[in-house]
Amino acid sequence: MKNFLTLSVTSFVFSTVLWVLWHFIDTHVLFLAGKGGFFYLPHAARVLCVIYFGFKAIPALYLGELVGPYVIDPDMYSFSTLLPSLISVMSVPFALTMLNSLGFTLGETRSSPLNRRNYKHIFLITFISAGFNALVVNLYMSRNNLSFPNAITDIEQVYRFFVGDLLGTVFVFIFLAMILIPVLRQAKN
Amino acid sequence: MKEFYRNISDALVMLDGLEKDLNIRHLSPNELKVFYTIIARSEFNKYGSNISDIVENSGMSRSTVYKTLKKLSSQGIIQLNQSEEDGRESLVVLNS
Repeated sequence: MKNFLTLSVTSFVFSTVLWVLWHFIDTHVLFLAGKGGFFYLPHAARVLCVIYFGFKAIPALYLGELVGPYVIDPDMYSFSTLLPSLISVMSVPFALTMLNSLGFTLGETRSSPLNRRNYKHIFLITFISAGFNALVVNLYMSRNNLSFPNAITDIEQVYRFFVGDLLGTVFVFIFLAMILIPVLRQAKN
Repeated sequence: MKEFYRNISDALVMLDGLEKDLNIRHLSPNELKVFYTIIARSEFNKYGSNISDIVENSGMSRSTVYKTLKKLSSQGIIQLNQSEEDGRESLVVLNS
């Protein structure tokens, strides 16, 4: 129970912080303003939390997904994001389940078909989940005639979602690798 | 709680591998700080950042920045070019 609470709080805070950071950059940083779709940072929280904490992190991640558009900036979207957010969070479990059914089980050793200590394997999961998220969320939006402000739900938006999730995750990983590892190494010395 | 720390440790091992392949693991914290500042400043000046800019934005002392720039230059990470506008000024450019 204590482990569940800890991982839930960590997942929720991580997801919310990344959303706030992404939203700030998308709305305030001059040359990146309005281009947030091409670097969606919170996808990194979905990937990292589901891979390292397991499916137990899903409720906290989902809650984290909803905090941004419902509490921090309620005017951001003109439609309910309850279902699209759920689809987005479920994109990583979907990728893991798909890979698992193909025989690529997630483990933590060199002999594991998918090693969670190997960033290349994590990128593969990110790639599949980004594709699933881009296709299914846009399919849902298209079938329900929903669209973001100043955007059309079309193939370009599918591409933007896909690239955005990939780039956003890569940026967060590189940032964490650059910041966390030297800090931990310095603390160790 | 042990499981939580084990999960975090696995995530750090993954990030460590990424850092290793990005080839930035041999840099000290000071070198990393200067390196990040140069990257950030290169957004604003494609011909290179001047050293005063780097000192101001890194929050480090001028002598530390000079020493660190010499090290980065000797490792081939950056290049120090003389400014065409002001011969007394050196411009720091990232090596590609």
